[in-house]
Amino acid sequence: MRKCYKCGLKGVVYLPQHRIAFCKEHYLEWYSKRVEESIKEFRMFTREDRVLVAVSGGKDSLSLWDVLHRLGYRVDGFYIDLGIGEYSERSKIACERFARKRGLELHVLSLSEAIATIPEIKRLEKRPACSFCGQIKRYYMNRFAKEKGYNILATGHNLDDESATLFSNILAWNMDYLARQFPVLPEGRGFVRRVKPLFKFSEKENALYAFLGGIEYVEEECPFAEGASSIEYKRLLSQLEEESPGTKLRFYMDFLRRLHPLLEAQEVELSPCSVCGEPTTREVCSLCRLRERLSSKTLSSSPSS
Amino acid sequence: MKLRIVYRGQVKELPFEGERVRVVDVLKAMGLSREYAFVVRGEELLEEDEFVRDGEELRVVNAISGGKDYL
Repeated sequence: MRKCYKCGLKGVVYLPQHRIAFCKEHYLEWYSKRVEESIKEFRMFTREDRVLVAVSGGKDSLSLWDVLHRLGYRVDGFYIDLGIGEYSERSKIACERFARKRGLELHVLSLSEAIATIPEIKRLEKRPACSFCGQIKRYYMNRFAKEKGYNILATGHNLDDESATLFSNILAWNMDYLARQFPVLPEGRGFVRRVKPLFKFSEKENALYAFLGGIEYVEEECPFAEGASSIEYKRLLSQLEEESPGTKLRFYMDFLRRLHPLLEAQEVELSPCSVCGEPTTREVCSLCRLRERLSSKTLSSSPSS
Repeated sequence: MKLRIVYRGQVKELPFEGERVRVVDVLKAMGLSREYAFVVRGEELLEEDEFVRDGEELRVVNAISGGKDYL
C-alpha cells in the first residue's frame, strides 16, 4: 500500500510521473496549489480580473470552475448549448446543477437561437464537426465575454489536449500554429485574454479531482467527436507515458521552454467584420458568412407559395 | 466470474475466467490503460492491484475525451 506523501495515511491516488501518492484531502490540496502556481507562473490573471470559464459539463471545465472558485477568483460560467440532442441536454443540466449547488452564475447561450444547432450546420458543412464547432464556440465565447465585461476567458484544456495538439502540429510542421500554442493568448485586436490554467494536468488527474471533489460531470462523449484524430494522438502518447511516466509533461513543457521562444507568429491583419464587428482577416467574418449560407439554404429549401 | 460494469452511463456484464481478478485486469479486459482510466466501487477509488469480487458492480472511468478544439 502506498502512503500519502503529506500525512502518511493510505494513499488513494498515485501519480507515476511525479512518483508520489496522496490521500483524498492532500490530492485536492496538491491540485489547487498547482493550479495557482500555473496561473502565477504564466501571469494569467489576478483576483482583480473578471474571469469567464467556458464550461461543457465535462470533467475538465467543471474542475476548472470549481478550483478557481475555491481559490477565490471572480469567476462565472458560460455554457453554449450546441443543440446536439440528449448529449447537450445532459451537459446543460450538469452545468446548471453545478452552478446552483455553489451559488455561482452561469450564462447559457443557445446556438439554435444564435445561429443554428451543430447537427443543422453539419448538413451544410463538409469539414469535420469538431473543426467548425470549435470555430463557432471561439467566436461566441469571445463576443459574449466582451459584451458582459469579462476580461479573461478560461478554458479547461489539459496536458493531453495540449500534447496531442503539439504532436499534430509537429507532424505537419505547422510553424504558425506552433507559434500560437501557449497557455496564455494575449488580449487586444478585438480579443479578450484567453488562458488554460489546467495545461499541466492530465485528463486522468482532472477526472480524479472531479471524482474526489464530488463534482457531477457528464462522462459520455460528444457523438460528433467519435473518430477524431485528437483521440488517436492521445492514445499514442498515453502508450509512451505508460512506458515512461512524465513523457507528456516533458514534451509540452520543454516545447514551451526551449522551442516556443524561438518561434514568431506571422502577424495577420485583422479588422472588424462589416456585419458583426468581431475581428476577422476578411471583410465579413466566417461566422457571418456561415449565417448567410444557412439563411440562403433555408430560403432555397422552403416551398414556394 | 462476472462483473457488472457501469461505463459512460451504460451497464454491461463482463465475464472472466477464474476467480482472482484484479482492478488492472478489468481495465485490460476493456482495452483501457491505467494511464487514463480508473475503477470505482461506490465512493471508493480502487487501487490497480486490488482484487474484485464476483457479481459486484464497478464504475470504470475513462478520462480520454476528444474533439475539444475551442482555442
